[in-house]
Amino acid sequence: MIEYLIDGPLWYFSLAVFVIGVLWQLGSIVFAGRKGDLSVARGNATSSGFKNIFSRFIPHREIAPQIGVQVVAGYLFHLGLFALLFFAAPHVLFLEENLLGFGWTPMPHWAFIMASQAAFLGLIILWVRRMTNPVSRLISTLDDHIVAILTFVVMLTGCLALLEGFNALRLLHRFTVELWLIYFPFSALMHTFTFIPSRAFTGAWFGRRGIDA
Amino acid sequence: MARMKFYCDAERCIECNACVTACKNEHEIPWGVNRRRVVTIKDGEQGERSLSVACMHCSDAPCAVVCPVDCFYTTGDGIVLHDKDICIGCGYCFYACPFGAPQFPKDAAFASRGKMDKCTFCAGGPEEDHSSDEYKKYGRNRLSEGKLPLCAEMCSTKALLAGDADVIADIYRKRVVNRGASAFNWGGSEIKG
Amino acid sequence: MRIKTLLILFCLVLPQISLADGPPKSLNSPEGVSAISPGSELWRAVRQRDGEVLEGVSQVKSVDSGMLINARGDQWARFRISKLTTYGGIAIAAVFVIVILLYVVRGKIPIEGGLSGRMVRRFTDYERIVHWTLAIVFLFLTITGLILLLGKPLLIPLFGKEVFSVFASASKEGHNLFGPLFLVSLIMIFLSFARRNIYEKGDLTWLLKGGGIIGDGHVSGGFFNMGEKTWYWMVILIGFAIAISGLILVSPVFGQGRWIMELSHVIHTIGALILITVSIGHMYLGSIGSEGAMEGMKSGYVDINWADAHHDRWGKKCHDENLIISAEEYARLQGRKPDDTAELATEQGK
Repeated sequence: MIEYLIDGPLWYFSLAVFVIGVLWQLGSIVFAGRKGDLSVARGNATSSGFKNIFSRFIPHREIAPQIGVQVVAGYLFHLGLFALLFFAAPHVLFLEENLLGFGWTPMPHWAFIMASQAAFLGLIILWVRRMTNPVSRLISTLDDHIVAILTFVVMLTGCLALLEGFNALRLLHRFTVELWLIYFPFSALMHTFTFIPSRAFTGAWFGRRGIDA
Repeated sequence: MARMKFYCDAERCIECNACVTACKNEHEIPWGVNRRRVVTIKDGEQGERSLSVACMHCSDAPCAVVCPVDCFYTTGDGIVLHDKDICIGCGYCFYACPFGAPQFPKDAAFASRGKMDKCTFCAGGPEEDHSSDEYKKYGRNRLSEGKLPLCAEMCSTKALLAGDADVIADIYRKRVVNRGASAFNWGGSEIKG
Repeated sequence: MRIKTLLILFCLVLPQISLADGPPKSLNSPEGVSAISPGSELWRAVRQRDGEVLEGVSQVKSVDSGMLINARGDQWARFRISKLTTYGGIAIAAVFVIVILLYVVRGKIPIEGGLSGRMVRRFTDYERIVHWTLAIVFLFLTITGLILLLGKPLLIPLFGKEVFSVFASASKEGHNLFGPLFLVSLIMIFLSFARRNIYEKGDLTWLLKGGGIIGDGHVSGGFFNMGEKTWYWMVILIGFAIAISGLILVSPVFGQGRWIMELSHVIHTIGALILITVSIGHMYLGSIGSEGAMEGMKSGYVDINWADAHHDRWGKKCHDENLIISAEEYARLQGRKPDDTAELATEQGK
């Protein structure tokens, strides 16, 4: 019964919430509209916005020494998670069989292990930093903690199910993934998509004023 | 109840590896897993001997002692079997086994070690006899058909014997008596005094 | 004699055959033949009877496939089950009892003069991140490791094999994956704290006075006292031993033989049990055992009275170099308004 629910209806429901929610959120940003900027342009907004999408991948030299830990941990976590999500062998197989109908070459086993360890280490360090640094703790909302813990639980259940020998562990992983998908559009997890328009907007906003963002 | 045992006669084994092949074929065992293997000692030297070795179905099995999830059980025939639904693939049974019988497949997409596989004395597993589940996990269940393990049945020199311990002991005892009569004829140079 | 050795051979290779009816009488009679069977020394070596290991060859290419009999395996299995599991479980239970007794008898060790509210910086953000990262990884590894070690006698009777094997599988995979993280956080701990943990002159006095747990009053100490330093070096040395033996155990792909695995397993388990038992004491002293100690790892600041009481030489240095900040300043740094008790304490302190 529970197996049927998790593999069937709940999976499609969470997928629908995820897709519709993300589209709705992105649409509301795109179609929000804003007043035209009547000031005289001192720089090119488009190119600055485009440039900013990429330049923000590297921290500013002035603040880099102070945020070294979260930059390193952040990259470990995000790159590790990306590799896990799209290049882990069971994930590729799952996407091929259930969603896409085509697959691609997965990571070898050792690369998977390295990626998952990078992701776990990064996430733990980032969360500990959020809790120990007074400023981070002060500006963290409940949503930030839920997102961190939920993502950790999704990764953890996946790692616990690694033997691929127990159905209960597979279902647990899939269930947490479904919760994660449902929570995704209503939380800070949306930064997966919104970081691009957000950076572009900031870059364009400053660029038009002739400021190097 | 019978007490099932393997016995390999080192004076007869010719290292033809037919038992290994028969086992692999009968149970459709994947690459890298060998429920049975032939070991040759002093290969190419004087006193060379070969033995076919698999799970010896010990009465106080070290694998069962060390298994952290207690997946081993002994059947009424004295055969040591394990439940793959419980096995977690930790590898401890391989360290504990004197004969190196437990084997670990690496075919799962991720697994560094899959669930353990070993000789079942052609007796299947805890699943229903002759079910497809049983065949997939443990291979053919010959014993329930009244047949003995294929490796022993195929052995061309009858070096490898399988069956009830008392019967095998009798066969071997007769061989020893026969050989005793002609003991001076073999391994001549190594006989001292 | 040759027949006797043949019989030995027979018993060796087929240990379970019962000889209830005994060998035929004619075989046992000596008849004056003193030939030694060519097989006898061979099988003796195969059985590893005299500590000598005779390796053969096999068409099957896998780890140790040429070794016919591994005599150590059974010893290791029985050592794990009867010694490691039993005494490990007892040791952990005993430390819990000791800690509870200590709390009942001594309670929370208070700071003389109470909290002043004036704080001094003890750990940087990075040091606390490193500490808590190691702590989280260590706790996860402890729980999963103990499930695997003690689950058979303790959890299988409770949940049954089917349910327990799910926990055990999850524990094994989680333990394997988190293991290397322990090594990484251990290296970070080593780099962050090694210099302050080098033993100094006053440390022996601390040891002789029993660290203040047994007697009354506090014992002189620097930034870290003798007990903390010893715990640190235990973590580093035993931790590295655990991490390296764990890496050997977790990667059975480099062709390491069975007895290397058995050795690694024993080192890994004994080391882990030592660290787990001592870490329970560490957690107790760092939290409910000693007033004001937790604050150092939570916020990075400790009360100056705590520093004076527990680490007087370091506390004196803080006084001399004027590193103490007021309660208001501390509250501001922590991003909250100074509460009433802190204000009161500050006024008292002035």
